[in-house]
Amino acid sequence: MKRELSRRDFLKSSGALAAGVLASQALPFAAAQDGLPFEVAPEAMNPLGLEAGANVEGVFFEGGFGRSYIDNAADIFRALHPENEMSVEGIQQVSEILRPRFIGGNPPDVIDNSGAFNIPMDSLVADDQLADLGPLMAAPALDTPEKTFAETLFPGSQENGVFDGRQLYLNIAYTVSGIWHSQSLFEEKGYDYPRTWDGLMGLCETIKSDGIAPWTYQGKFPGYMVFGCLHHLIHKTGGIQTIYDLDNLVDGVWQSDAVLQALNMMYQLVENDYILPGTEGLTHTESQAEWLQGNAAFIPCGTWLENEMRELTPDGFNMVIKPLPGPDESTYDSLGAWPGEPYIVPKNAANVVGGMEFMRCMLSKANAGFFAKEISAIMPVFGGSESVELSGALTSALQAVEAANGGFNVLYGGWYSDLRTQVNNSTGELMTGRITPEQFAETVQASADAVKADSDIPKYTRA
Amino acid sequence: MTNNASAAWAVFKKKKYHIIIPFTLPSLLLFLVFVVYPYGQAMYFSLTKWRGLTPRPTFIGLANFEKLLGDSLFWNALSHNLIYLVSIPAITIIIALYLAFLLTHGKARFRRFYRITFFFPQVMSLVAIGVLWSFIYHPTIGILSSIAGLLGAAEPIAWLGNPDLALLAVGAVVVWQAVGFYVVLFIAGMESIPVSYYEAATIDGASRWHLFWHITLPLLWDTIRTALVFLAIGATNMFAITQTMTQGGPNRSTDVLSTYVYERAFLSGKFGYATAVAVAMFLLAFALSVLTMRATRRETLEY
Repeated sequence: MKRELSRRDFLKSSGALAAGVLASQALPFAAAQDGLPFEVAPEAMNPLGLEAGANVEGVFFEGGFGRSYIDNAADIFRALHPENEMSVEGIQQVSEILRPRFIGGNPPDVIDNSGAFNIPMDSLVADDQLADLGPLMAAPALDTPEKTFAETLFPGSQENGVFDGRQLYLNIAYTVSGIWHSQSLFEEKGYDYPRTWDGLMGLCETIKSDGIAPWTYQGKFPGYMVFGCLHHLIHKTGGIQTIYDLDNLVDGVWQSDAVLQALNMMYQLVENDYILPGTEGLTHTESQAEWLQGNAAFIPCGTWLENEMRELTPDGFNMVIKPLPGPDESTYDSLGAWPGEPYIVPKNAANVVGGMEFMRCMLSKANAGFFAKEISAIMPVFGGSESVELSGALTSALQAVEAANGGFNVLYGGWYSDLRTQVNNSTGELMTGRITPEQFAETVQASADAVKADSDIPKYTRA
Repeated sequence: MTNNASAAWAVFKKKKYHIIIPFTLPSLLLFLVFVVYPYGQAMYFSLTKWRGLTPRPTFIGLANFEKLLGDSLFWNALSHNLIYLVSIPAITIIIALYLAFLLTHGKARFRRFYRITFFFPQVMSLVAIGVLWSFIYHPTIGILSSIAGLLGAAEPIAWLGNPDLALLAVGAVVVWQAVGFYVVLFIAGMESIPVSYYEAATIDGASRWHLFWHITLPLLWDTIRTALVFLAIGATNMFAITQTMTQGGPNRSTDVLSTYVYERAFLSGKFGYATAVAVAMFLLAFALSVLTMRATRRETLEY
């Protein structure tokens, strides 16, 4: 009784490349003898009751991950529902382009609300603009038999999208952040990646004497240095409790010993002159290009780096991600990892069911496989990267996050954008030696106090 | 004869609205719908709390303006607008006057070539100029850093990454972009001044400087006045160039009111408050144009 997606239908709608990938790589239970991309159990065909002819309009942020994985998900949707049309539009300025649609009461059916110019999630929640995705979470998964959609997602990966018990958005990417270097460069020069902070400082000295700048960062956007370095060091000096304290706006936490120690460690990069001269005037892609050209040895970033810089990466560069070493070896492994790239289904969309049904295709095992292989990134879907040959960069990220027994996540930046901006700006000042760690702590604590005292800003807590 | 003429005049006066109304009504309507109405709406939004997602803002009276007075980020942005305001118009006009005078009275060869070259930045979009200059200011591959290196600077200068230099760097681009337009404007003004004035003065033994100070400048005053108002209004905006080059950074050292409005509205979702800042910006620009016109009013000289 199973309805099968015929290979012919699939090729027609998805293009040979995507279908080839799906058939050969990403589909663990593809019935190869039948030549079919994958089977769908009858109860998983249309569990949400999408009506034939109800078209789905999708508008998506098109950033570091590109749009091929979105098109791939749309192709799966089209093959599954030949009676429904699905449109895919890629944009960058989500907030500017989609606000008029929300105000007009006719938003698209599904949106990738990501990027630097997204619509603040707290506004969408506060104005009750998002559909409750409960029915989707409880529906059967598309290509993982006997499991609900929710059961196929990494535990904890969707927690930050839950508000008052309702799932209001879904993260489709799992990002690991840390410090990147070129494996080839290290082998050529005989460098070993150190396991303590002192070891790292020693290595930086060696690198510097070899005529390479030890370090660069995404200068004009100092936030990379916050999520890729500062938060890691705070976790290593103060443990997860200090991270919780930052998120919970605990009084004086930014001036605590743990945070000051972390700031002083990071400040050593400035004091010892380890940062590539001119870094503060570079954008994210410009600094990443300097790093790829071998002008700097280390750069902080998330796992999107590989795909973002694919075209500028020299052959044989072999980029790998490592955790930042801590004060002692016991703190080596910890690193940041968080779910991101949130997708939403607007409550007032014409086809809410269609938007949810698309998300079932987006976070299917098949699309997760495509994402891992083509984009070198991880979807929080169980079995998503099985039988997919992963890049060296992605393999190093998975190893690091496994060694860390799962990464930690910092939430104050998403909750309190004013505080995030202040931390980012002050980090830029610290990394150019314009302020001291003590002045940093004082300025940022004042900003945290101001956020805490502002009754207009809704407060959240975690434990 | 006289009788006839005055009768015709009376008829015309009676009928003139038959002509005036059909001709002005369409533009009046367009003005009302596309200028007056949005302004009115913006004034209303500035009195509300609004996240820019629903059609129903919450009315909160003057609370946004109260908050604005105590907002240090607002004053920071405003101070940068004021720095631009006192520097950009003056510097642009002085350079443009100098170049225009040289091209009209000097013996420079290739005058047409210079005119076109000076005007060239004006036909490029501000965004393209911002991107171009970001490369010129680039700390490792930019030409300015290479020159500084040749002159013996040990480290590359991060023009847009240094809070002490960024405002200057952005302002310089605006001057560079604007000068050409005013050169052409001033040349047109200078060429309409009768040559006989200059000849007479030269016979009386006036120097170049005297010619400029006592003939060109007074007779060009109306044009300069217009230039001042344009440049002053431009200095209260500065959005496109700042947004492309620095987004207000580093550490808000190039934030201007317009980029602050954008940040509050589109990135923080505070449309009510952002509109209040925008209204303050409008009042500033309006007051400025009135002030400039008043302060520079002189008897117009005819020749």
